[in-house]
Amino acid sequence: MALSHIFSWTFIYDFIRGPMVWISFIIFFCGVVFQVLRFMYLLKEQPVQKLEPGPGNIIHSQTVSHVKVDRVKTGWFKKGWFKKGPDKKDWMLWVKLSIAGVNPFMTIVTTIFHVLLIGVPVFVLGHNILLDNAFGVSMVSLPENVSDFLTGIVIFCTLIFLFRRLFLDRVKIITSYADYFFLSLAAAPFVTGYLAYHQVFSNYKLLISLHMLSGELMLMAVPFTKFMHMIYMIIVRFNVAGEYSFGNATKNW
Amino acid sequence: MFRKKNTAGVNSNEIRAILDEKKAKMKLSLKACAHCSLCAESCFLFMGHNKDPKYMPSYKFLNSVGVLYKKKGNVDKLDLGEMRDLVWERCVLCTRCYCPIGIDIPDMLALARRICRSQGVYPQYDRE
Ligand code: SF4
Ligand code: SF4
Repeated sequence: MALSHIFSWTFIYDFIRGPMVWISFIIFFCGVVFQVLRFMYLLKEQPVQKLEPGPGNIIHSQTVSHVKVDRVKTGWFKKGWFKKGPDKKDWMLWVKLSIAGVNPFMTIVTTIFHVLLIGVPVFVLGHNILLDNAFGVSMVSLPENVSDFLTGIVIFCTLIFLFRRLFLDRVKIITSYADYFFLSLAAAPFVTGYLAYHQVFSNYKLLISLHMLSGELMLMAVPFTKFMHMIYMIIVRFNVAGEYSFGNATKNW
Repeated sequence: MFRKKNTAGVNSNEIRAILDEKKAKMKLSLKACAHCSLCAESCFLFMGHNKDPKYMPSYKFLNSVGVLYKKKGNVDKLDLGEMRDLVWERCVLCTRCYCPIGIDIPDMLALARRICRSQGVYPQYDRE
């Protein structure tokens, strides 16, 4: 194969939409499996007193049993008739002190962003047609105008993130160039997809190539870069014991 | 900022050895931190200091353990002095900070304290 052929436009285009897709998916899945296994190896079983999330439960836990004993001793209601669980006021305080309560705006923005970041590509019609062509199976698809709208929201959310990085002192102070790079990388597939769908530029082929390329780069980056907070969050939350863990987390590291 | 390092009295091999003990957790935590600043309000010192970003849990751990790791322990007494202010004077290790991603920030700050201590850098209680 001549060098001029390898650098030719059609070759690159065919590579990006052909083998590169498989390569990136394989790297993504193998990377995720590798990181998950690594996490599981690092986390050691360490049975600890699990505090239920939510307010008030600490009174009933063994670690503060002396409090319980004192309480029981103080009255005729020791049979537990009046054992008081957390009431509505406690829960309200608990929510108010949580990140959702302290920072409701960012909680909403980041939740929407992350759900759509994963959801939209899966349910976009164009992707499902490709999936159908390749395997004869496909997911349910969103109507095109809906996925178009949701893509717009993803882009809007990244702009909010960007403005925070640029103008909010508390974010600026911990921002590095890498953060801008990864934010752009996360936004790139959506921006290029949006532009390609609306045929804003006449060069559709270039846009769709950039769309595929950025999507592939992003997939490959997930297990090995800053994007790994996706894996980190799930593994740590479900395994490392703590008052904010989910389920029966009993490990430590 | 570049300034000439005076690494006298700092044993970077020792620092590296301590870092290595927690290497995996530290590396993963530094990498996973999205630099989002959502942990800020969970620190009462941040709230109590007019929301000064220098009191953010993530700022403290990125600029202590993060720097030690990035520089592979090649720091001098001045760097360690700055870290002392971060991990002792701007943090009481109350372990109440909360990261939505699940990063164990107090553990990282404790690691930074341990490294400072190993190099003879302690909190100064006689200072204003
Ligand atoms: S420590 Fe957690 S909450 Fe704080 S900036 Fe890093 S990822 Fe965000
Ligand atoms: S451990 Fe330190 S950083 Fe975390 S909440 Fe307490 S004082 Fe703040």
